[in-house]
Amino acid sequence: MSSPAVSSGPASGAPSGMVGRSTGDRIILGLTIAAAIAMMAPLVWVVALSLKDNKELMVSMNAVFHAPYTLQNYLNILATSSVFRWILNSLIVAGGLTLGTLVLSSLAGYGFARLNFPFRNVLFVIVLMGLAVPEQAVLIARHQLFSWMKLHNTYPGLILPNLSAPFGVFLMTQYFRAIPKELDEAALLDNASRFKIFWKVLLPLTLPAQATLGIFTFLGAWNDYLWPLISGTKKEMYTLTVGIASTQTNFAQSEGLGFLMSQAVFAGAPILILYLFFQKYIVTAVSGAAVR
Amino acid sequence: MTAQIEIAEVTKRYGALTVLDKLSLSIKANEFMVFLGPSGCGKSTLLRMIAGLESVDEGTIAINGQRIDTLPPGQRDLAMVFQSYALYPHMTVADNMAFGLKNIGVPPDVIATRLTEAARMLEIGHLMERKPGQLSGGQRQRVAIGRAIVKEPKAFLFDEPLSNLDAALRVRTRVELAQLRHRVKSTMIFVTHDQIEAMTLADRVVVMNNRRIEQIGTPMEIYTKPASRFVATFVGSPTMNFLPVTLENEGGFARVRLPDRSLLQTTVPMAGLTPGALDLGIRAEAVKPARPGETVITSGQVEVLERLGDRTLLYIRLEDGGMIVAEDIGLSRAVIGDRVPLVLDGARAHLFDGEGHAFHAVEAAHG
Repeated sequence: MSSPAVSSGPASGAPSGMVGRSTGDRIILGLTIAAAIAMMAPLVWVVALSLKDNKELMVSMNAVFHAPYTLQNYLNILATSSVFRWILNSLIVAGGLTLGTLVLSSLAGYGFARLNFPFRNVLFVIVLMGLAVPEQAVLIARHQLFSWMKLHNTYPGLILPNLSAPFGVFLMTQYFRAIPKELDEAALLDNASRFKIFWKVLLPLTLPAQATLGIFTFLGAWNDYLWPLISGTKKEMYTLTVGIASTQTNFAQSEGLGFLMSQAVFAGAPILILYLFFQKYIVTAVSGAAVR
Repeated sequence: MTAQIEIAEVTKRYGALTVLDKLSLSIKANEFMVFLGPSGCGKSTLLRMIAGLESVDEGTIAINGQRIDTLPPGQRDLAMVFQSYALYPHMTVADNMAFGLKNIGVPPDVIATRLTEAARMLEIGHLMERKPGQLSGGQRQRVAIGRAIVKEPKAFLFDEPLSNLDAALRVRTRVELAQLRHRVKSTMIFVTHDQIEAMTLADRVVVMNNRRIEQIGTPMEIYTKPASRFVATFVGSPTMNFLPVTLENEGGFARVRLPDRSLLQTTVPMAGLTPGALDLGIRAEAVKPARPGETVITSGQVEVLERLGDRTLLYIRLEDGGMIVAEDIGLSRAVIGDRVPLVLDGARAHLFDGEGHAFHAVEAAHG
């Protein structure tokens, strides 16, 4: 007598793998795969081009589909004497800007969310209005100011302009506001000073928001091109984006396509590494789930 | 160390709105005082003023003769258990409990001893390394109490600490709190809108309404001699019955005529009463179905039955259209639609004049 408990597969109608998946689900899955291919294809194309000899590509683009492949374009980048200096510059600028933005936005956010001071709401609106001012609108005035202050071709000159981060202040203010005030009150009764409440009680609770803000700030600073191009005019003060762009020849897109693509991959590699480390936070940040 | 708390002529305003008006109150050392009242009556505001979380606009608050209303919260030597518990989410239970002690420079060995003692008392020793997010509501509540206990404060302040618990856990925690207060000898102030919590926990209850104190007294004083119609209504479940009556003088005690023209002899002294319209207040346990041979006062038709096990509540529609709640035995034979003759115990009656002032039967005065 066979046991009724023995079953060779999932029960009829039970959703398991593809079993039970509706037509709608299949369509959505197909569209998702198509979208993923559409997004990945240019990246794969760039990487493939970067591994080809420039002369081969000048003859025919079909060369990309067959051997030989080479790392010569990457070796040429590394042969550029300043490239590691540019990476260092980018790290200092993006890192410094990220750190500075986190410190200032957290303090300002705490102040706007928790402290009572005259003109608080007016000041907050003024900060938010900063979101509506495009960088290009203040570029010339800023250039002249920094020139007068002799800050061009310095790290402060590259970092300071973007330290005024209205979005960061807004994000942190909203995050601090969402933290129950009872925590401040409990800490007050625990004889904690105002700074201790900020540092020990509230700030640790804002880590998801700090991660979000930090990642976006770092990415923005790493990819920034316009201001570093204007402020860092000396070769040793180039950031990676400016430096790599400066190595391009006049006919880069025809004569040096492989080299051009290898530059793009090289510039993006640190960001890819950053993404691998902070993948979880970035996904959360993009989905907006970190902002409670 | 325990605290005698004196609140004198305290006023609190938010802009043009006065939320507490010249309120005075004295809380004895080691007393368990409950502030009871409906939402918005000012009870939590008063507690927060004692804690230092709200400023005092007028008047003074003193502990053991020393004025504290000018001190910051951390220097008042008080501990508070919040409605939401307000545990620091990123700290372990142990760190939560130790945070306040570290801030005032208590040596680590003393902190460890106090934490161990509190953990043993509250049976939370196995939770010390967990974070609040890993605890149930009841466990968080214990940790919040533990955080208060380790500070060994002059007084404990509880701001509706049971209201976030489910019904069963609330009853259990209430009993545990009652046990705890005998182990931790200290002054305790407990804010609630739940009259059962007030009745079961308090040495004395402060009934508050509409920004002022209606009555201060022991739970049984509040129950048996409510100072106003508001107190009579707010305290007791089911709520006290009220019937419009007219006063007819009968010697030294009031005799009242009910809406259906029947008469009830009470033992409420006539002193202070003026003839005319009054409200008779009488609790359900003083209204019962008449047994054979008993003098029927009034009668009505049963509309709703509430069988509570040990007793049955009968919601009875009277002849004049008014409703009265009577109490019968648990195995009451009454059914909906029955006409029930009723006996009202005049020795447990209260009379309220047009301004809500109360006059009590003399037996009721003995509680």
